[in-house]
Amino acid sequence: MSDGETGATTPGSKRSLAKRGALKLVKPIAGLRKRSNYLYFWEKRWFFIAMAVGIGMLQLPIPEGLNQQGMIILTMSVVATILFVTEPVPLPTVALLIVIGQVMLMGIDSKIVAKSLMSDSVLFIMGSLMLAVAVVKQKLDTRIAWILVRMTGTKTSRIAFGITLVSGLLASFVGEHTVAAMMLPVGITLIQLTSDDPKKVRNLAAVLLFSISYGCSVAGIGTPSGGARNAIMIGYWKEFFYDPSNPDTFKYLIDYVKWMMYAYPMFLLQVPFVTIILLVTFRPEFKDLSRAVVKLRTQVEKQGPMKSSDWVAILIFFLVLLGWIFASADYGMGTIAILGAAAFLVAGLVAWPDVNSGVNWGVVLLYAAAISLGVQMKDTGAAAWVANSFLTMLSPLGMDEGIGLWAAVSVLTTGVTNTMSNGAAVAVLGPIVLNLATAAGESPIVIGFITAVSSAFAYLTVVGTPACTIVYASGYLKTTDFLNVGWKMAVMSTIIMLGAAAIYWPMLGG
Amino acid sequence: MSDKDNGSDRGQGNTRMNNDVDEQDINDPEKPHQSRFRILVCIDGSDESYRGVRYAAKMAKGEDVDIVLCYVRPVDQGLRSGGLQMDVARGNMLEWGLELPGITYLKKGRNLLMELGNLKDDWDEKAFHTDIAGTSLGDNKIDYTAKSGKKIVLKLKVARDITTGILDQWELGHYDLIIMGAAARWDKKGSNPIRGILDPAIADKIATHAPCSVLIARDLEIGHGHLVCTDGSDLANEMLTKEAYIASLCDCPISLLTVVPDVESQEKGQKIVDNASNMLTELELDVVDKIVRVGEPENEIIEAGPDYSLIVVADGGKGGIERFFVGSVAQNVIQNAYNSVMIIR
Repeated sequence: MSDGETGATTPGSKRSLAKRGALKLVKPIAGLRKRSNYLYFWEKRWFFIAMAVGIGMLQLPIPEGLNQQGMIILTMSVVATILFVTEPVPLPTVALLIVIGQVMLMGIDSKIVAKSLMSDSVLFIMGSLMLAVAVVKQKLDTRIAWILVRMTGTKTSRIAFGITLVSGLLASFVGEHTVAAMMLPVGITLIQLTSDDPKKVRNLAAVLLFSISYGCSVAGIGTPSGGARNAIMIGYWKEFFYDPSNPDTFKYLIDYVKWMMYAYPMFLLQVPFVTIILLVTFRPEFKDLSRAVVKLRTQVEKQGPMKSSDWVAILIFFLVLLGWIFASADYGMGTIAILGAAAFLVAGLVAWPDVNSGVNWGVVLLYAAAISLGVQMKDTGAAAWVANSFLTMLSPLGMDEGIGLWAAVSVLTTGVTNTMSNGAAVAVLGPIVLNLATAAGESPIVIGFITAVSSAFAYLTVVGTPACTIVYASGYLKTTDFLNVGWKMAVMSTIIMLGAAAIYWPMLGG
Repeated sequence: MSDKDNGSDRGQGNTRMNNDVDEQDINDPEKPHQSRFRILVCIDGSDESYRGVRYAAKMAKGEDVDIVLCYVRPVDQGLRSGGLQMDVARGNMLEWGLELPGITYLKKGRNLLMELGNLKDDWDEKAFHTDIAGTSLGDNKIDYTAKSGKKIVLKLKVARDITTGILDQWELGHYDLIIMGAAARWDKKGSNPIRGILDPAIADKIATHAPCSVLIARDLEIGHGHLVCTDGSDLANEMLTKEAYIASLCDCPISLLTVVPDVESQEKGQKIVDNASNMLTELELDVVDKIVRVGEPENEIIEAGPDYSLIVVADGGKGGIERFFVGSVAQNVIQNAYNSVMIIR
């Protein structure tokens, strides 16, 4: 490696400038040093570490209460989790590796593995993403902005509250990423119309942009269509507990309305707290935004009246919503979602290339594989084994039942979700916490809700929730801002959720 | 080969205006840009990165220095934005007539260069676009070329991650110096704090892997001169000639520092700095101070550093694996110094 340092240096041309008469410009012409070997391994080191951990785990004696298959699937989950968190390879690769592992390590027939990849939850995630692109492409954001500023007036605090509420109401049905993408330009326009200098409006920018992202995040729990994680949890309930021959298990079929009854009040309750926390944390420089609002109005009014295509788009989405509420029990939420996507395409409101490039299909693949892995965790008994071990660990702390266990599950989920996407967190944790509930004699519905809802508490990092990631791309926020305000949000949300679990959910008969 | 290079700068300078030389023929030593000093400034929107631009601007007063401002945006993982591609959000921003942050940052850098008089209105302007798989925006580049062939380039690059992006950019342009801030974004790769802890800082990685000199800016201030650290080895002497070139570009006063392990070898240290000073004088450069300190090299260098604009160290000269386990003095200085460090290769 001795030759690799500066590479062969060749004498460059001599400068004719008098001052630099004796100086040479020496050009490095060697290629990038050692990139081919050392850097490659360094960048991918977590992949190799994860693989080594996997091989190591498979060599261990199988613990009591776990069978061979269970050990393999547990190993795969651990390896997948390491890869999710450290991201040494593109994440969809992990999905492919899970499929390969199921067939080649566990010896499951490839037909069965292929079947286990697609479920109503996966269809629902796919359909919702296509709908999301279609909705963003309708350019309804200017209309929403117009309604928003007419409702709220010009005071900063009222605008912040209005943004949180409107983003939230929309996000609870359309999905948080959709609304974050739609509302981001509204927020930035208001900021830029107030001042061109980002330094002068730093706190204002933080309040308005966090109003969007946290408004979307707290709303993402509101309905099953709020985020992929909700659909995953619904899928797990059905997969694990529903038995068509036993009417007692029918309560585990959570449909759209039932989910909303559980979660929607929690979202509404959080909205005022979001605004208060943001205003107290960031104290915006401008108390009144009348200049920006007036300019925004003129900008929006240039759009003219609503076009017929706008009405058709709204109508289609409304019908999809009705379909989710009334028909999802018969046809499945996934079917309704792809029906909606098909309707947008048939009506010509969105072009397929837009849908194709707007949806990250790797994510669909990833969720499919993660859910399939989760189901295997349950079928092999690995999830139950982990749950029991976890419970034994908690019992000396007195946290193996009731509110102690809920708090433990919530903290676990919040911790995991801050390091990876919340959908992946629910997919990985779901089988374990649901088995935990069974083992501890708790209601799987309550524990499931706690997991799904806590997975939205990823306020601390930019990657935690989709809305945060999208808003961060504006360049106005710093990563430290997320920490400053995020912990307050997390505390607030956790208290409200535990309150709901203790008082409100039992009333619903979970 | 140097025969052909000599004296033909002007003529070729004109031809290269019409070519996208920046990204082509990079390995052809006869191309004129091989005789030009090229600076790559990595912009991330932080104040530190603009201090880097100012420093580059100072070095680029001459006709034979080009500046490239580069912003690297990592390719989106999709999962983080919930499966909806970030491009959808970006596209929506563009439709509102809003600028994306990378473009805003680069424009700010360009305006700074105009303010400092490096870039003038009469320069030729050309825009380039390259499609990159996986993003609708791709790589974008604006070339500003003066009549003399001097160039300033703004580049918005999309890459797997920031480190890869900057190193790839080096392969395209074979720069002589990379300037980047050690602040904010570079320190914590991306935004995932877990990865921030696990991954060495981006600046660190660039300093390790880039084949050229790298200036890591930390509160970079112009005008306090360079503190050049030498140990009298061949490698250090080779470094000295390169440093001499860079210092001459910005008219920076040079001070020399050597560190010896104990008091007895102070005389030897004095000899080392004297030799180095003679070398620089031969190259028609003035040496302000000659310092010999006793102690641990790293600590002494770091402590002496803050009185100067930047600390100049030679690359430790260790191979990959060895560097990985042992780490060189240069590496440690970069990681722990209070002020800017330039590693010379």
